[in-house]
Amino acid sequence: MKIEGKQRIWMDYQKEIADDHFFYVRSCVRQNFFPGSEKTFLRILQSELQKDIYENPSHTTCSGIGYHADIVPFETSMTMVARQFALMTEAGYENFTTSCITSFGLYSEVLETWHHFPETEQKTRDFLYKATGRTFKKPSNVSHASDIIFKFRKKISEKGKYRLINRQTGQPLRVVEHIGCHYSKMFPSKGVGGAEYPYVLTGMIDEWGGEVIDYPERRHCCGFGFRQYFVQANRGFSISCSKKKFESMEPYKPDMILTNCPGCPMFLDRWQYAISEMEGKTYGDNGYGIPVLTYEELAGLVLGYDPWDLGLQVHQVPIEPLLEKIGIPYDPEMKFRNISGQDIGRPESPSFLKFYPEKV
Amino acid sequence: MNKTAIIIGGGVAGMETAIQLLRLGIEVYLIEKESRLGGHLNSWDHLFPNRRDSKEVSEYLQLGMNEGISLHLNAEIDTLWNDKKKFNIKLKDGTRLNSDALVIATGYEVFDARKKEEYGYGIYDNVITSVELEEFLRNNELKRLFEGKTSKRVGIIHCVGSRDEKVGNLYCSKLCCVTGVKQAIEIRERMPDIEVFCFYMDLRMFDRYFEEMYFEAQEKWGVQFIRGRLSEAAENQDHTLLIKLEDTLTGLPLKMNVGLLILLVGFVPSPETRRLASMLGLKEGDDRFLCPADEHTLTNSTKIPGVFLAGTVKGPEGIAGTITDARAAALQVAAYLTSRE
Amino acid sequence: MPDLYNKLFEDVRVREGLKACLNCGTCTAICPAAEFYDYQPRRIVDILQTKDDSQIEALLKSDTIWYCGECMSCVTRCPRGNAPGKLIQALRSLSQDLGYFTESEKGRQQLAIKRTIGKWILEYGYCLFPSEILPGLHPEQGPIWEWEYQHIEAVMTRLGANYKGTGPGILRKIPDEALDEIYKIFEVTGGISRFDKIEEFSKKKAREMGMDMESGTNDDYVKFIYTVNSGNHTKKNED
Repeated sequence: MKIEGKQRIWMDYQKEIADDHFFYVRSCVRQNFFPGSEKTFLRILQSELQKDIYENPSHTTCSGIGYHADIVPFETSMTMVARQFALMTEAGYENFTTSCITSFGLYSEVLETWHHFPETEQKTRDFLYKATGRTFKKPSNVSHASDIIFKFRKKISEKGKYRLINRQTGQPLRVVEHIGCHYSKMFPSKGVGGAEYPYVLTGMIDEWGGEVIDYPERRHCCGFGFRQYFVQANRGFSISCSKKKFESMEPYKPDMILTNCPGCPMFLDRWQYAISEMEGKTYGDNGYGIPVLTYEELAGLVLGYDPWDLGLQVHQVPIEPLLEKIGIPYDPEMKFRNISGQDIGRPESPSFLKFYPEKV
Repeated sequence: MNKTAIIIGGGVAGMETAIQLLRLGIEVYLIEKESRLGGHLNSWDHLFPNRRDSKEVSEYLQLGMNEGISLHLNAEIDTLWNDKKKFNIKLKDGTRLNSDALVIATGYEVFDARKKEEYGYGIYDNVITSVELEEFLRNNELKRLFEGKTSKRVGIIHCVGSRDEKVGNLYCSKLCCVTGVKQAIEIRERMPDIEVFCFYMDLRMFDRYFEEMYFEAQEKWGVQFIRGRLSEAAENQDHTLLIKLEDTLTGLPLKMNVGLLILLVGFVPSPETRRLASMLGLKEGDDRFLCPADEHTLTNSTKIPGVFLAGTVKGPEGIAGTITDARAAALQVAAYLTSRE
Repeated sequence: MPDLYNKLFEDVRVREGLKACLNCGTCTAICPAAEFYDYQPRRIVDILQTKDDSQIEALLKSDTIWYCGECMSCVTRCPRGNAPGKLIQALRSLSQDLGYFTESEKGRQQLAIKRTIGKWILEYGYCLFPSEILPGLHPEQGPIWEWEYQHIEAVMTRLGANYKGTGPGILRKIPDEALDEIYKIFEVTGGISRFDKIEEFSKKKAREMGMDMESGTNDDYVKFIYTVNSGNHTKKNED
């Protein structure tokens, strides 16, 4: 593998990412399943990087999930997007940043559609005004939250307390990076590094000391498929896609998977559990599974934040083997405690995917 | 007065135009940016359809190069202008030339396969172009290409850089299909234990004996043809390549491991062609190749009197076609120069 | 019979995503749905470019258009600039607007999605809400989610959420004025009309099939469409 080939591609796909003064919109999936990640994102931006990042409490879902499950018409989604832009304009911001990749794809798609079909933009303005009395300006920059962490990865590295090195072997951790489909597949120029060799997560891993693993099914969708997951009868599709990826990455012995989409870490995490229940097979070291992290969780670990503040306890695949590899201390007693430190019980152990530590 | 012509480009078109113009009594200056003549002909091993040695064609062209032709090698053009009396050229080394007629024969380049990112050229070790394969064939090093490889399969990929809106080239490069079939036969001939697959969209076997080559490839050499365009190549741990395409004739997705991928790269207009065209004000088509004054009846003239086009500046063409076109260009130049007296 | 091709062409996604297909197969090569289902995105574009309404009608009533996972991997690759994934979106929209979606097993599932995701968008302002993700309907979420679900407030507080609270934050209560605005947006842009159509046509179908369909997620029809899989969706094995 010639890394220079990839580097040339990365240089071709440079993306404008705003520097400061962000209007932040949240992700439905992440708020439900990875709240610690969104909390950490704001913490990093505000405390570590001293950035101005603003959230309007009135903002809502962009309706992307409904749009891609085809229950929400395109005009409706365009107008939902327009409303979010209106809130941004009202608050005096121009740089729009999304927590969700489906959102990012939707905002990009809507802006491109308005650009190529100006009558749709006019229609949307009319709809928004009619429904809410609001008007909006289009953002001058749209980025995804992972673009911002990518942009400031060196600063995070400088402030970092840990590197992505296996302290027992001294070798860099082997990291599989998984990019959400809607980040760059529709509009390759809107993704750092394009669609074939995206650099947004690779850049973070490179900077923080890890080794990126390429494997044949790297570009394969995790299988969310929207309706393919929501409806129970369709879930076979979803789990099969993830399984394809696991089977392909297994021989490369990854230490962890890094993702930038909300859905992907959920599926790559939970489907490991489901596969183990259905087939008795686990991936990764010794039956513990391959830990799946969001980029905020990884940045948080590098910065030395408490793993339980980051929300790593709400992953099904246990995180402790990775923490041990890096040498990050953690308090196993506090893992499932509430904010006051009280014991609120713990989850049951899966049948095959090992629970850490083994004795409860 | 002496009739003079400058030919820019010393490839097949430029050389043949020079040879013919000399025979017609025209004083010829030939400018070539490389250190030797021949252009892309120097890269080929055996030529379709009859698989004859390309050196024979090179020799024919070389023989025609006698002292009557004023040759400038390693010559790059700095500026070029038309003062309505003469065409004037200043080379980068300071040499100045002028003439009564100008022939643009600056040819083409092959498509840079790195632009087709999903094929992994320049990233994975076992992805090469058809041009690179020719070199292995010329140097008799084909066996070296397969040394130590775990897979005995080769995939030949058609339409790389052609018929592709994603890389900005909508046109067909015409000659890649027959090149692929030729190379498939050549590999099977020399290494019978290697399996060869051609992954095509359409097989453009348009010229004499091309269709017969296709038949021979299947019947005599067992080359397998699958109708499906390569979608993606990824590298396995043992450096073989996992390729994904659809066998469109059965309607089923297909995944396969191959030891080597050969990309049939198409033609793109050379940057020098485009630069000179813009200096002179010549018309480019949507495909960025140059336009003659008329597609049927004035295929070597341009809208500018005295400026002529020869060879692949106008689009993809093979050796035989280029030599024929160069002779037609020479005739047009001679007729023009005669009419000016 | 409505003029289907022309109706499709009104959708901006078809104007953008239907160029001319040369059947090269790069889309199907890379499509996850084509790996597992008897499905080829190439065929979708090929059929649409015939402009043949009877073929398009058959498509709108079939399971075929519901296999796609909308990952858009096809869009990245097509050398003619087609976008099969976007054509699928347009076909699914039209299929629901005309009521054809109830003719197929997969299409009928839209009601289940409308009564969950659709309902939650209007009720909460989010596409998902923890109290709605019942562990019983989602065993794949694992024991970790079951534990979270039982202790949702404690977990959310621990992780820094502003669960059901006022002001900014994770899973905040979205102000009623905002929810009103969303409702009005849905009304004005045809979102409510789409939801109503899904209900209407599904009701008709349920009656035809002799099933009960009230308004929740517990009725027979919804349970049926949510779970039934005929097993006829993968490729036939060829010997």
